[in-house]
Amino acid sequence: MAETPNPAPAQSTVTLKIDGQSVTVPKGTNVLEAARSLGVSISFFCYHPGLSSPAVCRQCLVEVKGQPKPVPSCYTPCADNMDVLTQSEKALTVRQQMLEFTLVNHPVDCPICDKAGECTLQKLYVEWDSAHARMDYEKVHKPKKVDLGPTIVLDAERCILCTRCIRVCDEVAHDHQLEMSYRGDRETISVAPGKQLDNPYSLNTVDVCPVGALTAKDFRFQMRAWELMTTSSVCAGCATGCNDEIHHARGEIYRLVPRENQDVNKFWMCDDGRMTYHEIRQNRVAGARVQGETVPLDKALSFAADRIVALRGSSGSSGLLGVVANAQATNEDNYLLLKVASALGVDRVYLAGRPARPDCADDILRHADMNPNTAGARAIAQALMPGKAKGVPQLAADLEGGALKALWILGDHVDLDEEAQAALARLEVCIYQTPHQNFLSDKVNVLLPAAAWAEVDGTFTNAKGLVQRIRRAVEPPGEARPHRELIQLLGRKLGIALDYPNVRMLFKEMKQAVPEFAAAEYGRELPVVQLRFAGSRG
Amino acid sequence: METTFRKRTSKATVKVVPRPETLNKELMLGGIIQGLAVTMRHFFQNVAREKPEVTINYPEERLKYPLRNRGLHRLMHREDDSVRCVACMCCPTACPAHCITIVAEETGNGNEKRPAIFEIDELRCIVCGLCVEACPCDAIRMDTGEHMHVVDRRDDAILGKVDLMKRGISSTAVQGGEPNWQERVKTVPDPRFR
Repeated sequence: MAETPNPAPAQSTVTLKIDGQSVTVPKGTNVLEAARSLGVSISFFCYHPGLSSPAVCRQCLVEVKGQPKPVPSCYTPCADNMDVLTQSEKALTVRQQMLEFTLVNHPVDCPICDKAGECTLQKLYVEWDSAHARMDYEKVHKPKKVDLGPTIVLDAERCILCTRCIRVCDEVAHDHQLEMSYRGDRETISVAPGKQLDNPYSLNTVDVCPVGALTAKDFRFQMRAWELMTTSSVCAGCATGCNDEIHHARGEIYRLVPRENQDVNKFWMCDDGRMTYHEIRQNRVAGARVQGETVPLDKALSFAADRIVALRGSSGSSGLLGVVANAQATNEDNYLLLKVASALGVDRVYLAGRPARPDCADDILRHADMNPNTAGARAIAQALMPGKAKGVPQLAADLEGGALKALWILGDHVDLDEEAQAALARLEVCIYQTPHQNFLSDKVNVLLPAAAWAEVDGTFTNAKGLVQRIRRAVEPPGEARPHRELIQLLGRKLGIALDYPNVRMLFKEMKQAVPEFAAAEYGRELPVVQLRFAGSRG
Repeated sequence: METTFRKRTSKATVKVVPRPETLNKELMLGGIIQGLAVTMRHFFQNVAREKPEVTINYPEERLKYPLRNRGLHRLMHREDDSVRCVACMCCPTACPAHCITIVAEETGNGNEKRPAIFEIDELRCIVCGLCVEACPCDAIRMDTGEHMHVVDRRDDAILGKVDLMKRGISSTAVQGGEPNWQERVKTVPDPRFR
């Protein structure tokens, strides 16, 4: 991760005045950040709080008393007794002139630009002067569609040469793939010789781009930014748990973008994580199935409950029932499943999930564990059934050895080989709650439609042990319901009283039961915000 | 299920306002006679041809519509007869009836974007003309003077790109305005357009 250029030494602060207000900040803080902490807005393009400041756009110029010329606030460290004027006539004039200068060669093709609605340049121009161009020469024309790599297209005309994208590659991905070429008004962003923009963090360049110069091929022309609604959630792609925003409109998800969290992902997110939204709506199970036939959900639940009750009558209290918790499901789902299991006297508990992919891991954000909730599922299993939780290899061995007659599986990824799958198909009852169809869905005799991660409220615990809130962005298809609701319904049919009208109650109970979650808080309910009211993201 | 019911905070009731009733109103006879009198007056005036008739024999006779009448939509063409629309989605954003559906695609030629699908549900359209106002490139117009067609099925009232372009002609509007528009606009007498 990019470190701040000058880490502030402890207990060393400076006090300065900004627009007459006194503010004390750690030594090394730049004037722009100090002003932002006071709520004073200074326009800028090239500065980004997660990157270094080259002070190339000159859009953040402020007046400092005693200095003959305006200074770039993003590049000027705060000093004691400094007197900064951000809204003086001189500062405002010079910033307005810089904006006009930036717009000289900008094509202003907002109607066909994908960034319109979340563009910093557009926002500043409309807020500030909305004046007609005084330039009456023809603008410099540059290539409108430059293929920079597998994920990104550059419109060189729209680029305002802030170099944020170059710094993202250098400082976040640690791979120098972009650079400036040519000079003057011919200057343009291009890929470094012999390279292309294909690092695993390349789409962050699109997020930081203050204009519509860089566009993601995945999102290009799909939807206008102002139509999008944002729901704050957490990426389910790996155990890092990057905080993200789900951008959706009319029940469809269009993209995932990172959300700032200094403890987890700072400002960034990997490309693989962003693409996880595609699979949410693919191969969905929309209705319950019993032995391959589509039936109403209630009937499927009754069928499963009857079989389990019959087994419990014939082969002892546990009924040779096993449950499979899943690292893909939320803490609440796993907790409820194991609670039901312990009430039923089940002692065979397994923990499934996607197989790890060490080839995808790096020391920036990406984690080898491809499950969002491994730590949480483990902690819950340890708290509710200490020492009993086994892995998938043990599940395969038990299936092939005939130690199980019934199985209740949560989530979609259970990595079983051919023989274990054949053994699974021979079980008396196998309940499989899944959002997606896969190789297991034909082998089981009770298939229940579950909601995917973007369709539920709940919490994930990331590899660092942070319990993070995920929020429901879109409705699940058909009869699909969150895992916890399916467990409650089936639990009731098995005679176990479960009544959790909302997730928060379930979370409160879980917090008391699982020591790892004692300090965790269930996140606030956030209103769904329409992107056009959220200001620019650039 | 996660269903919460909001508590009712106000007790809204129906307020009954008593109206003074007269015998005339109770009987309704006066009203009937008054109404019949108006009808009969027009009847005899028409028979006696004192005034020109207030009705016309549509569809044989047609009124002349004013120039700014809003009829069915049409999509304008570029010089090479391709669609002028750049799929900027300004018209569906402006549309209060949500009757416009656009799916954008890449053109592959110099023009960056064009609509792959452009559909207007003419049954939903409230003929407000905001789409025409919103269009930044004179691509959509409502100046055909045509009425909504009679359809048997609701789906038939959804006009696609081909239908809309069939009515369109080549537009001569210059993208981004005429080259010397700043000079010419100074000569416009109306100060609003300066």
